Amino acid sequence: MGMDLGKFLNSPEFEIRITTYRDIFQVEALERDRFGEEYKKLSATIMMSRNDLQKMGFKSGDRVRLTSNSGSVVVEAKENKRDEPGGIAFMVNSPWSNAIVSGETGGKGIPEFKNMTAKISLAKEEVTPLEKLMPGMRQA
Amino acid sequence: MVTCTGCALLCDDIEVVVENNRIKETRNACRRGAARMKGCVNRLIPSIYQKPSDIDSSIKKAAEILKNAKSPMLFGWSNSTCEAQVKGIGLARKLNAIIDDTSSFCQGILIEKVLQKKFRTCSLEDVRNRADVLIYWGSDAQDSQPRHLSRFSYFPRGETRQRGYEEDRVAIAIDVRESNTAKICKGHFYRIPLKGDREFILALIDALSGKVPSYDTKKILELAGILKKAEFGAIFAGIGLTYSIKEDLVVLLTLVDLLPNFHIMPMVGHYNMRGFNENLFRETGFVNRVKFDGNVNHEDKYSILEVLKEKRTDALLVIGGDPLSSLPGTVVKHLSAIPVICIDPCATLTSKIAVVTIPCAVSGVESDGTAVRMDGETVKLSKVMENNYLSDEKILTRLMRAI
Repeated sequence: MGMDLGKFLNSPEFEIRITTYRDIFQVEALERDRFGEEYKKLSATIMMSRNDLQKMGFKSGDRVRLTSNSGSVVVEAKENKRDEPGGIAFMVNSPWSNAIVSGETGGKGIPEFKNMTAKISLAKEEVTPLEKLMPGMRQA
Repeated sequence: MVTCTGCALLCDDIEVVVENNRIKETRNACRRGAARMKGCVNRLIPSIYQKPSDIDSSIKKAAEILKNAKSPMLFGWSNSTCEAQVKGIGLARKLNAIIDDTSSFCQGILIEKVLQKKFRTCSLEDVRNRADVLIYWGSDAQDSQPRHLSRFSYFPRGETRQRGYEEDRVAIAIDVRESNTAKICKGHFYRIPLKGDREFILALIDALSGKVPSYDTKKILELAGILKKAEFGAIFAGIGLTYSIKEDLVVLLTLVDLLPNFHIMPMVGHYNMRGFNENLFRETGFVNRVKFDGNVNHEDKYSILEVLKEKRTDALLVIGGDPLSSLPGTVVKHLSAIPVICIDPCATLTSKIAVVTIPCAVSGVESDGTAVRMDGETVKLSKVMENNYLSDEKILTRLMRAI
């Protein structure tokens, strides 16, 4: 069976508000190995309400691209464990959420980590690898 | 018994089993603490321009970079001992450097108010012994300070709370998300919209002042009733709340003015963030964002975020923090344009782009020292096992000497 490319071509873009949170399993993975698969799996995820998933035509486990004025990242969409009314999606704090948070703070030094807006659409690319989220090193 | 550095609760009742110079098992620690104590799989090695070196050469190179910089900055500190923090503040003075810590984009603005005595606060023991109304506001302690409810607030018996959570205590969660903590506060979970904290506070102020709140009237009146009856109340202010009302923190102070039995405690994640705030406050009167130049200057433009964005530093020492992991991607780009020195027990995203890396001991496991718990209590950290790593304090001492 070939890949249903039409699924992506016709995939509309939605706007979504995102807030970040902490997850003890992700923190555990961070302490152990912040370059590991487990940390990536638990970080590069957006938790959405069933309502929002249905409304946008996504399934839990679909990969989605999140694009804000600051950057763009591919993560996995998952359904919230608990009933949430929707309208807001949740990401654990990580380099993946930081890829889309704005650095604009009105000179106050505190980014809106918990109040982001992004465009969301189905993605055919793989989840963004950590290396792609890092700047290079200054050379000697 | 060993003290855990997994979070700012600094639990001092941990038992460990050591095998082959590693902690194999922990007892009493939470998932987060156990992971911290067992350590990371990628220990940092000394390097210069990402090529392996030795400690002495790395320290020498770091000293050279900092000495030659026009505007050096020292950042991190929330995972460093108090002794290292004090040395770091001394180093910043000597270098005429900017110094800032992670509280700059976390709980700093609230901790500053605590140290300035702008509102009542209390100790975790006060909470255990006396608190009957607990409010987790924008705080998911279950995931961030996992033993907060079991050791101090909701579940334990305390001097005047012999019946614990079953009869003597009420736990309330005010949050955007039904967190694990909110789940425990079932029946007293108030869901608010994103950035809705201020409006919620104003409604509560109305209700407590005898006016009819315009917002969610029935629930707000019910909550105001619980708060008014409290004998000893605590608001555990998480970063969810702090971020949401950062432009108008005064509104929270107005609320607690109406609640004379209430105390505010900022919920701190990193084990010694409050320690840095207290140490810098003692020396300068400010909790973060300081530039030394013979005098002490404190401005928002000395926050790590604004410094990187406006390219105000030409050499950055990072210790006990990982800005590449915790700051907006657009802001950390500047790190690839300047020499970065990284001191940490483990390889981090920042160490991967650092010009110089200097491994240090894991404090509370491989080196001793002191740290400040989230409520301001000073706690001793012990060294659990012998090892060859230098403590963060010793590295800074040697760096200072080399400069």
